[in-house]
Amino acid sequence: MRCKKQLFLIFILASLIPVRSSAQAWIVPDDQKGKVAPFKFTPVMVKQGEQLYLKNCQSCHGLPGKNNWVRITPPPGDLSLEKAQNQSDGELFYRITNGRIPMPEFRKILSDEERWWLISFLRSFNPRYIQPKPVSQAVFTGKIIQLSLSCDLPSKKVKVMASEALKDSSKIPASGVEVLLFVKRYFGNLQIGDSKSTDKDGIVLFEFPSDLPGDKEGKVEILARVNDPGDQFKSNAVSMKLAIGVPTDKPSLIATKTWWTSRRSAPMWVIMTYSLSVIIVWGFIVYIVYNVLKIRNLNNKPNNQ
Amino acid sequence: MTLEKLILDLTHHIRINKGFLVWMGFLLVSLMVCLYAYSIQLRIGLGVAGIRDYVSWGMYLANFVFFVASSLIGMLISGVLGLIGMKWITPVTRIAETIAVAFAAVAGLVIVSDMGRPERLAYVFLYGRFQSPILWDVTVVITYFVLSSLLLFLPLIADMAIIHRSKQALPSWLRPVYKLLSLNFTDRPEQNKIISRSIRILLILLIPAALSIHTVTSWLFAVTSRAGWDSTIFGPYFVSGAFVAGSATVIIAMFFFRKNYKLQDYLTDLHFTNMGKVLVLVSLVYLYFNLNEFIVPGYKLKRADAVHLHDLLAGKDALLFWVIQIGGLLLPVLFMLFRRFRKPLPITIIAVAVLIAAWFKRYIIVIPTQEHPFLPIQHVPQNFITYAPTLIEILITLAPFILVLIIITLISKFFPVIPLFETAKEKGIEKIEFE
Repeated sequence: MRCKKQLFLIFILASLIPVRSSAQAWIVPDDQKGKVAPFKFTPVMVKQGEQLYLKNCQSCHGLPGKNNWVRITPPPGDLSLEKAQNQSDGELFYRITNGRIPMPEFRKILSDEERWWLISFLRSFNPRYIQPKPVSQAVFTGKIIQLSLSCDLPSKKVKVMASEALKDSSKIPASGVEVLLFVKRYFGNLQIGDSKSTDKDGIVLFEFPSDLPGDKEGKVEILARVNDPGDQFKSNAVSMKLAIGVPTDKPSLIATKTWWTSRRSAPMWVIMTYSLSVIIVWGFIVYIVYNVLKIRNLNNKPNNQ
Repeated sequence: MTLEKLILDLTHHIRINKGFLVWMGFLLVSLMVCLYAYSIQLRIGLGVAGIRDYVSWGMYLANFVFFVASSLIGMLISGVLGLIGMKWITPVTRIAETIAVAFAAVAGLVIVSDMGRPERLAYVFLYGRFQSPILWDVTVVITYFVLSSLLLFLPLIADMAIIHRSKQALPSWLRPVYKLLSLNFTDRPEQNKIISRSIRILLILLIPAALSIHTVTSWLFAVTSRAGWDSTIFGPYFVSGAFVAGSATVIIAMFFFRKNYKLQDYLTDLHFTNMGKVLVLVSLVYLYFNLNEFIVPGYKLKRADAVHLHDLLAGKDALLFWVIQIGGLLLPVLFMLFRRFRKPLPITIIAVAVLIAAWFKRYIIVIPTQEHPFLPIQHVPQNFITYAPTLIEILITLAPFILVLIIITLISKFFPVIPLFETAKEKGIEKIEFE
C-alpha cells in the first residue's frame, strides 16, 4: 500500500516536470539573440507592421498599450510592456519565427522582411528604443546559380554547393544564396530545418534529422532548391536518393487481401462465400426450371393410370 | 360445391371491362407524368432532386428500402407459414407472391433512379467488388425476384390447365396463353411430383434469400460508421420492419380483391383476423427491435448519437418520429388486439396507417443521419445542410408505386387471385378433368 502511494507520488511529480518546462522555458539560442534587422526601420515599415499586427497578432495579444490581451495560459501579454520590450530584436525575431504552443510559428506565414516590419511596429511603442546598426546579409547578386548536392552519411550532414555559371562557361562559388532543403513525401515536400545562406565558398551544410523514416533500405529522396520567391535568378533544383533515413518496412495498407481493397485483392473467403452462395442457389433455380420444362413432355408418355 | 362454380367464382373477373380500362388508363397517364420528371433528371442530372453533398441518399433510397421491405412478405406467408403447415394461408399465398414479385421487380428500378449515370448499371457486375454490400444487394434482389416469380408461377400451372379447358368465358386471346403456360399439365403423378418438389425447394431457398435481401440492404447503412446507422441489430431491425410493411400491404390487397373480384366466400373474416394476428406479432417484434435501437445508444449518448437522437426524439424530426412510432406501430398493435378491429374494413384502415408510417420510417432512418456528418463541410449553402425533396424528386419517387400497382393489377386481372387447383382439393373436389 505504502509502495503504491510512493509510486503514485513519483508519477505525479514526474508528470509535472515536463509541464513546467514546457510552460516556462522558451529559450532563444545564443547565436540568435544578437541578430539584427538588415535595414533601418522607417515610418512606412511601422505602418506596414501595424497592418500585419492587426491581422496576425491582435486576436491574442490585443492592441499594444491597451492591455487587452486574451486571458489564456501561458498569457500572451501586452507587447508594448517591459517584458517584451526588454528583449533584443533577435529574441523577438526568433520567437515570432518559431512560435511555441499555443503561439503559431510565422516562419511560413510571414517573410523575413515582414517579421522585421512587425518588430519595427512593436518598437514604435518604446520611446527608449534605439535600433542597433543594421547588418545586411550577404546577398547573391549574380544571375545563374547551379546547385550540387552531396552527403556525408555517417555524420548525416547534407552539403549543398551553389556556384554561379559565368558567360565563359566557367564557375565561381556563389555566396549569400538562400537554400532550402526538402525530403520528398507522398504529397508535397517536407522542409528540413530553416533556409540557410551559402558561405563565401558557396557551401551550406544541413544537419539531417536522425529519426526520419525512409524506405526498406532507409532511402529517402532529398531535394535542394534556391529560395527565390521573386524569381530573380535562373536556378535548378537538385535531388538525390540516399540511404540517410531510418529503414522502415511497413506494408502498404492495400498490399494485403482486405475488405477495403480492389476486387482483385478481395479476401479469398469473401470470394468463396459469395461465389458458392450464388452457385448453389442459382444451381437450384436452373435445376427447377429444367424440371418444370420437363412437365410438358411427361404428357406424351402412355397413361399408366 | 362444384368445380364449375369454383371456376366461375375465381375467374369471373378475368375480362377487360370499363373499370379496368379506366384504372389502367389512370395508372399509365400518371406513369407518363412521372417518367417525364425522370427524363428531366436524366437530362439535367441529379441536381434537380433535393439531394446534395450532405444528404446524398434522399427519398430514392428510403423508397428502395421500403420496396425491398414490402417484397419480403412472400417469404413470411409462403415460406414460414407454409412450411410449418398453416392451412388457412392458401387463398393468401398468391396475393403475397404477387406483391413480392411486383415489389422486388420494381426495387431494382428504384435504385436506378438514384443513379446519375444509369447506363453504367452493368458496371456493378463488370467491376463490382466481392467485398461490397452493393454487389451483394444487387445479387440477392435479382435472386429473390427470380425465386418469387417461380413460386408465383408453379402453382399457376395446374390452374392454367383447368381454366383453358373450362367453358368459362374468357377473352379469346387469353386461352392460348393459358394453354402455353399450363405446360400440358394433366395431373399426372410425375408432373405433380415435380411441381410439389420444386415448390418445396423454392420455399426453403426463399427464407435465406429473403433474409439476405433485407439484411444486406440494412448493411448498406450499418457498415458505415455514422450515428443512427452504426448498429449491430440493423439486419433483424430491418427484417422485422419489413414484415410489418408487407403484412399491411397484403391486408390492403386482400380487401380490394375481396371487394372488387367478389371473393367474400374465399377471403373470409378468418383470413383478415389471422392476418391481423400476424401483423400484431411482427409489429411487436419490430417494436422490440425499436426499443433496442433507440434505448441502447440513448443510454450511452455518445456525442454524435446524442446530436442525432436529439433531433429525432425531441428536435427537428420529432413530430414525424413520434407519429410514426405511435400512430404506425403502437396504436395499431393495441387496436388489433381486439377482435372487432380485425374485421376487414377496420383492419384495412389500420393497415393503410401502418403502411404509410412504414414508408416514413424508412425516410427517418435514411435521411436524418446524413444531416449530421462527422466532418461538416464549411461554408455550404443551407440546402446542403437540411434536405428538402423537390417536386421532380417526389414524382420520380411515386413512379415505382404506380409500376407496382400496374404489375399487381395485370397479374390479378388475368390470373385467378386464389389458387384454383389447391382450393378445389381443399374443398374436396376430386374429379377434375384434364383430358
